[in-house]
Amino acid sequence: MNSLQLSQTLFYLIEQQPDSAAAVSYLRQQVDAFHTNPQKSAFYRVFTALPRFVGKQPLTVPADMAFALQQARPGFSVSGWTRDRLARVWWLLQLPTDEQSTYVSTITELFKAGELNELVALYSALPVLAYPEAWRFQATEGIRNNIADVQSAIMLHNPYPADYLDEAAWNQLILKAFFTDKDVTQIIGLDERKNARLAQTLADYAAERRAAGRSLPPHIERLM
Amino acid sequence: MDFLDSIRGMSFFDMHVHMISRTTDDYQAMADAGVVAVIEPAFWMGQPRTGVDSFRDYFATLVGWERFRASQFGIRHYCTIGLNSKEANQEALAEQVMDILPLFIYKEGVVGIGEIGFDDQTPAEEKYYRAQLELAREAALPVQIHTPHRDKKQGTSRSMDIAIEHGLAPGMVIVDHNNEETVREVLDRGFWAGFTIYPFTKMGNERMVEIVKQYGPERIMINSAADWGISDPLAVPKTAALMRQHGISDEAIRLVTFENAVTAFAQSGQLSLDDLAQPLTIDQSQRFNGSSVLRGGQAPRVDKESTIIR
Repeated sequence: MNSLQLSQTLFYLIEQQPDSAAAVSYLRQQVDAFHTNPQKSAFYRVFTALPRFVGKQPLTVPADMAFALQQARPGFSVSGWTRDRLARVWWLLQLPTDEQSTYVSTITELFKAGELNELVALYSALPVLAYPEAWRFQATEGIRNNIADVQSAIMLHNPYPADYLDEAAWNQLILKAFFTDKDVTQIIGLDERKNARLAQTLADYAAERRAAGRSLPPHIERLM
Repeated sequence: MDFLDSIRGMSFFDMHVHMISRTTDDYQAMADAGVVAVIEPAFWMGQPRTGVDSFRDYFATLVGWERFRASQFGIRHYCTIGLNSKEANQEALAEQVMDILPLFIYKEGVVGIGEIGFDDQTPAEEKYYRAQLELAREAALPVQIHTPHRDKKQGTSRSMDIAIEHGLAPGMVIVDHNNEETVREVLDRGFWAGFTIYPFTKMGNERMVEIVKQYGPERIMINSAADWGISDPLAVPKTAALMRQHGISDEAIRLVTFENAVTAFAQSGQLSLDDLAQPLTIDQSQRFNGSSVLRGGQAPRVDKESTIIR
């Protein structure tokens, strides 16, 4: 993954949004100040306060930009995102990556204190964060989360799980997706990561649904 | 007909309900419907806790303020204490929680270790499930098992296998959240079978009626598991009313909505049929650490019939 290219592409995308001049100048100011004086408190303040300065409107993503993002990180897409979500992911890319333990603990603290929209942005960012192996447990916490938007952020249109989760965690993601009525066709790696154990568990789940007089979720046969 | 009319005079024991998430209106409605006692199993809060102090305060609330609050409506509040399966996955925190559990499991009114077991069925969940089974065995306390929503059938069998492996007698273990697919094995192996009447995700009560018809009332008990989700704290009395409508005997209804749960959890030495037969005097002017459920100028027991809310 090319982080610098990715960061530049995301920023360029913000610049392309209508009426984004004030937001862009705010972000430039903050990133310059942070590079000069990389204080954790400033990093946190900007991350949490971003929606106030960049807005929460849905993004417009031109095809060439979507393509450029795919080039920088295969499977990564921002379609359907809002401005604050994009800006937060961009901001996470500004954190120095030279020391793994500081990097990981700084971002872990954001997860711990995160509210809904912050968690959505954080889980969306997993495929583009440094030290990808370090986020495996956090990804399972996202799947375990009870809030639909947070679950979607890790489960749908997100290449991280298929790339990094082991079989047990992957199967949990798929089960939970069926269980919470997600459109499983939006899961990256759905067919590539089919496995016998998952097929068995889904067959049991289907039997349980039938015994309860309930319908089966769409596409479940595809994995059975 | 109002369902309350058909069950008037009956007593109910909701052996799984998270009252910390419910209002005083719920307590009042439960008391009016005949619920005389509840068990509140320790669970998660809908989102993960990030420090051991949150667990400590939560456990202390279950044996403290929540019990007091229930008593103000004439309801006896018991609890089971444990590290839930979801949060067992945060291992560093789980270790710290294990360290404080012995502070709570021997307290008065703690009728078991619970709710513990599997959620995602990860190695961490298994580790802390096993460690807590050991705690239960040592303390001679019943265990209240949460069975997983996903991969339920296999997860339920495995939970029972592991309990046996740790030397627990099936009669000391209440396997909760059963359904049509799990009940046979649970009963055949001699465990208690809890059923949660919870809309959409667990059992509906018409299905529950069929189960009692098919399996009889022995070792079956029902609960609401009402919590912060869309759930119904009157699930137990409502199901009793429905069972009555479908011709299930009063004796069978009493077993599955009251007595079986008492028998199972009485093994803790912390409750008995005799205790529950004694009326709990309601005095809403009582205080807990100086706090009352009443707020400035409120009269004890709001008149529910009035549409005026003062």
